[in-house]
Amino acid sequence: MEHYDLAVVGAGPAGLSAAIEAAGAGMGVVVFDENAKPGGQLFKQIHKFFGSKEHKAKTRGFQIGRELLEEARAVGVKAELNSAVVAVYGNRELAVSQGEKIKRVKSDAIIIATGASENMTPFEGWTLPGVIGAGAAQTLMNLHGVMPGKRVLMLGSGNVGLVVSYQLLQAGCQVVAVADIARTIGGYGVHASKIARCGVPFYLSHTIIKAQGDGKVENVIIGETDAKRELIPGTERCFEADTVCVAVGLSPMSQLLGQAGCRMVNEPQKGGFVPKVNEYGETDIKGIYAAGDVSGIEEASAAMIEGRISGAAAANAAGFMPDGEFKARFEECETSLAQLRRGMFAPGRKGAEQSETDEGIPLSRALLSKGYIDENELSAFPGFRDCSALSETYPVIECTQNIPCNPCQDVCPKGCIHVGNDITALPVLNPKASCSACGMCVAACSGQAIFLVQPHYEPGYALVTIPYEFFPLPQKGDKGTALSRSGEALCPAQVVDVRDAKALDNTRLLSIKVPSSHLNRARFFVKGDFANG
Amino acid sequence: MRIKEHPVLGIPEKGKAVSFYFDGDIFSGYEEEPIAAALRAAGVLVHRHTSRRNEPRGIFCAIGRCTDCVMIVDGEPNVRTCITPLKEGMRVQTQYGVSAVPEGGDANGTL
Ligand SMILES: Cc1cc2nc3c(=O)[nH]c(=O)nc-3n(C[C@H](O)[C@H](O)[C@H](O)COP(=O)(O)OP(=O)(O)OC[C@H]3O[C@@H](n4cnc5c(N)ncnc54)[C@H](O)[C@@H]3O)c2cc1C
Ligand code: SF4
Ligand code: SF4
Ligand code: FES
Repeated sequence: MEHYDLAVVGAGPAGLSAAIEAAGAGMGVVVFDENAKPGGQLFKQIHKFFGSKEHKAKTRGFQIGRELLEEARAVGVKAELNSAVVAVYGNRELAVSQGEKIKRVKSDAIIIATGASENMTPFEGWTLPGVIGAGAAQTLMNLHGVMPGKRVLMLGSGNVGLVVSYQLLQAGCQVVAVADIARTIGGYGVHASKIARCGVPFYLSHTIIKAQGDGKVENVIIGETDAKRELIPGTERCFEADTVCVAVGLSPMSQLLGQAGCRMVNEPQKGGFVPKVNEYGETDIKGIYAAGDVSGIEEASAAMIEGRISGAAAANAAGFMPDGEFKARFEECETSLAQLRRGMFAPGRKGAEQSETDEGIPLSRALLSKGYIDENELSAFPGFRDCSALSETYPVIECTQNIPCNPCQDVCPKGCIHVGNDITALPVLNPKASCSACGMCVAACSGQAIFLVQPHYEPGYALVTIPYEFFPLPQKGDKGTALSRSGEALCPAQVVDVRDAKALDNTRLLSIKVPSSHLNRARFFVKGDFANG
Repeated sequence: MRIKEHPVLGIPEKGKAVSFYFDGDIFSGYEEEPIAAALRAAGVLVHRHTSRRNEPRGIFCAIGRCTDCVMIVDGEPNVRTCITPLKEGMRVQTQYGVSAVPEGGDANGTL
């Protein structure tokens, strides 16, 4: 029987990180993944990540995936793909299905990092072709270059629903609505705002009634729900759509752990049944660990750190990593993880109604229900400053929730933006610093929440610089329409500059000229005449 | 419905162009992409009909878990088209229950 120091199940961010850590310490490591390609969800994630530098913030998911694969290769991790692990036994044996064969493998330690599976919510017509999971949409468009549909209704307003909606727009699809039975948007406000200003409407307290059509989805009916989550008659509305994308949550894929005999607990905050683990991710069976989404749904950045911890712990337990080194490694990882687990979306606070930020500023109600912040709510936040009298350019930071993120502070060469050591604090504009209009903060902001404003560009006109990640890219001189935060047509606008550089990493900077009165409103641009819509 | 150029990912990397048969007609796609991706790009949504209630099914998970996308490929039924790479000349058929023709139909000459 094959024998390894460590076998890792799942080559996603958690599994790869675990393998790198352990192999780096000298262990003989094999990683099994049922997929033909390693990377788990990472290669579908094309947005810039949150967090801080050590969490690889402002790097896109698929690039992080490439880096992990290179690191894994460099330290000699052996990867077996198209290899589904069908059973894990308490005596630390695994059954691996490869093609027609099932082989048995023995390993001194096992780290299970199988990730999550998507939840489904049944509704009339949910089996019709055209109803797909959010993961399927990502797979089709981001891995295979195929548009999942032309007109898509997104069910679910958590981060997955919001991020995938934005990616659908980037792929050239239309998103006709985001509907969610919850009363408030579940994901980050900045993710919601990115799609709201493109004109995607949000329907909170709405449920899907049915998807219908002849052999495939042709239209979708949603309706408003009351406090008891029951449909309010007469509120039905119908959308023409060929695709319903379902993003109603994830569940840990923890079956292998249950079957191995690990103690399991049902923890709704973590997404369902998860193994009971210690601070190293070790289950109650010695030598069997769980890392990443399988031990509680979080994000890729947290999954990578959990993987590192389990990998280091396995190496330490088997004598490959001295105690002192392990202790230092563990503490470093713990600090990094703690940073991510703070703020309004921290694992323990998810789902709880919150009314103000950690700084005591009332949350924008519009942001929570419609996906965009009202202009008159902005002045309460420290990233906003009314400088219409100023003659130079200044940034406006529309980041109003405590999320773990600080690239804005990191990239500014002039010290204009301050987040501080607690990366979930709201970014604060430093009134004394002077902005050079370099645009780095606009491109680096993972939430695309920073805009540059130059109040007196020309007599009667202001210049607004926005992040832009769509094709076709508008060109210098193009005339069109400025859209508001809600995606409403505001006024005529003209593109006076388009910046594209390697350092911007495909977030182009569009500078548009708008009448001065719209300086605090214009947040998006579309080509085409203002008057003719 | 293919993405010609993506604002972040650029021009999708594809294998060489190949032809395949879908229910007897000639279709085109790219080598090594999943059969289901080629079909979706060509506007085909229905992959099979269930045996009991004859309901249409198409892609749902796209990662080989739900089996909604199974079809008959080169004569073999129940092939998960979302994870099976496309090859030149492949014969792909809509699956009815576990066969290639609707109940009561004629199994000959469908290819
Ligand atoms: C649709 C979707 C969208 C998401 N979007 C985001 C996002 O935008 N940002 C974000 O930070 N997070 C997102 N997530 C959360 C995501 O799950 C985590 O970010 C991260 O990928 C978790 O890492 P992981 O390594 O635990 O799991 P995964 O990345 O899911 O990797 C698990 C791996 O295990 C393999 N595997 C599973 N079972 C077996 C088995 N029995 N045998 C062998 N291999 C197996 C799988 O093939 C997979 O490669 C999303 C998740 C989903 C499902
Ligand atoms: S544009 Fe440049 S100088 Fe101005 S705030 Fe942003 S990063 Fe700082
Ligand atoms: S403004 Fe700063 S903290 Fe907020 S999303 Fe952008 S980069 Fe992150
Ligand atoms: S779509 Fe689910 S198995 Fe293919």
